[in-house]
Amino acid sequence: MTTTTLEIRCKDCGATLTLPKERFAAICPYCASPSVVDRPVDASGGRSERPDFILGFHVPKQVAVERVRAWLQRSRLFAPSAIRQAEVTDTQGIYLPAWIYSAVARTGYQATIGENYTEVETYTTTDAKGRTVTRTRTVTRTEHRHLSGEHAMYISDLVVTASRGLPNDELETIEPFDLGALRRYTTDVVSGWAAEEATLDRETGHSTARDEAMNVVGRRLARFMPGDSAHVDHFETAFSDENIDLVMLPIWVFAARYPHGGEQRTLRILINGQTGEIQGDLPRSIPKIIAGVVLGLLIIAIVVFAGMGLFGLGLISFGGGLA
Amino acid sequence: MSIEVGTCARCSCEIEQGDLRCAICGLATPATTVTADTLRVSVLRCQGCGAAVSYDAAHRAPACAFCGSVMENEELVDPPEQCELHLPFTVTRKQASAALKQWLGSRGFFRPSDLAHGARLEKLQPISWVGWVFAARGLATWAADSNQGSHRSAWAPHSGEANLEFRSLLVSASRGLKGEEVDELAPSYALSSADSKPIEELDGLAVSIESFDVQRSAARRRISSALEAAARNEIADHYVPGSRVRNVHVSVLLSHLDTERMSFPAWVLAYRYKQKLYRVVISGQDANTITGAAPLAWSRIIGVAVLVAVVLLAIILAIVANA
Repeated sequence: MTTTTLEIRCKDCGATLTLPKERFAAICPYCASPSVVDRPVDASGGRSERPDFILGFHVPKQVAVERVRAWLQRSRLFAPSAIRQAEVTDTQGIYLPAWIYSAVARTGYQATIGENYTEVETYTTTDAKGRTVTRTRTVTRTEHRHLSGEHAMYISDLVVTASRGLPNDELETIEPFDLGALRRYTTDVVSGWAAEEATLDRETGHSTARDEAMNVVGRRLARFMPGDSAHVDHFETAFSDENIDLVMLPIWVFAARYPHGGEQRTLRILINGQTGEIQGDLPRSIPKIIAGVVLGLLIIAIVVFAGMGLFGLGLISFGGGLA
Repeated sequence: MSIEVGTCARCSCEIEQGDLRCAICGLATPATTVTADTLRVSVLRCQGCGAAVSYDAAHRAPACAFCGSVMENEELVDPPEQCELHLPFTVTRKQASAALKQWLGSRGFFRPSDLAHGARLEKLQPISWVGWVFAARGLATWAADSNQGSHRSAWAPHSGEANLEFRSLLVSASRGLKGEEVDELAPSYALSSADSKPIEELDGLAVSIESFDVQRSAARRRISSALEAAARNEIADHYVPGSRVRNVHVSVLLSHLDTERMSFPAWVLAYRYKQKLYRVVISGQDANTITGAAPLAWSRIIGVAVLVAVVLLAIILAIVANA
């Protein structure tokens, strides 16, 4: 990531604010005035992409903070103690960039389709008196047939990260976003919030999106197959009419650092700023987990030994009552 | 009043006022983007008191923290559906009540013989019910099982693709009329007679005009599922070879979707026969298209059932006696 910073002058109090190059919205620490920077596209030092769309925050800060608190409490048992003391009000709302991908996907496939049928077969067995007898039974068998064909669909609403700071699999954990609430990008919606511009280029977004689109096609194809059972042996997809747009997604981020075996580790919790979906990597303290397991085993052992002891003393007995 | 503003560059489906992306394939609609040519720092100001304003998650719009005023943000567009075209009545009040009389007199043997005379007309109401009429094209790829080419199993897999064209498909949005009633009425309308002016009065009676009780997004979902069902039926009936089919899976690349919101004239009649109310609906454009309920003559039904039973019994006895 670049370390270049951007200096802007607050329009209200004249203070100079320094922000990371990829941030383009800030609140002045002196007068709390919200500033949004609109930079020329593709000029030197300027930003590469202007967002096309934006999803506004629906989840207010108090709700986000409550969610983080509840989440931390849930994971309290095995979490390092530093996490428990973290200040949940540090939760910050930020607009993070993502790409929305859409395309026409045309797929050629080869598949093996299983069609069931029943057959009456005769078999020999021995009856209750030990004689050999011939009997019949109905069995279900599967006939395998080859099928090849075409499948066509629109891929739309596919969202992939455009931020270096937010890996795509992490973004996936708080998806989906309701793209029906999309607005055309305006600086009004960003005003007063932190916002980051795209740090992953269109090409990177494009190839991530294609990989995801391939999975979508694969899943759809599996459901598309006829027969009583089916297996798609091979498929090849051509994407055409592709389109990719930049969207700003509302995300609450809570980050805390904690010591772990001599190094500093970061816990990051993300909340979907539109739906409230929360996700984080549960940090676990290894000593605490080991202690927990040992304690559990100990309790089991005590119960078992106590039971055996009582049994041995004849206080509990099985089947003895008949004597 | 037309709210259509153009067609999608990818699939040629209609784009309506306020659409940011195509509802069918997800392609973004062209924006009149204002891009900055110099670095600009802007602060959003309250129109009421001039204070700097931030976007507020609770209001989902920029709101002023000082005077509490909420700024008008770009409206999120999901307007309620509005009727654009109205079909005129060609059946008069007199014709409607005459049609009812005739219909009651021709209900067949299992209805009371005095139905036409004993029924008293209680209510005669002209209504305009609403629905969507749409046309679309689509490339449908399909896979299915049929009896054609089957070996040991009764089924064999097939696949294929077809260019489908849908014209004047009608989906009801009416809450007052039942699905079966709409299916009966639909073929009686001459869609070309539609006019942009609603009919408010007829033969001295106020026409009750139904309104679309749905928003655009919900309407689109209903239209999409109606199209999918229509495509599936079309494929199953005309494209899958063989006489029996199952597991018909269809994936359609829709294009040129064009939707009309229309109102359809009908007469709703209520008649009373022996203290019970029955409802009948007559098409406002064809008096011979009638759908509704009529009482059953239970004495006649029981009489016939007893007669049939006696005859059967006689036959069985005869057979037994012969044996």
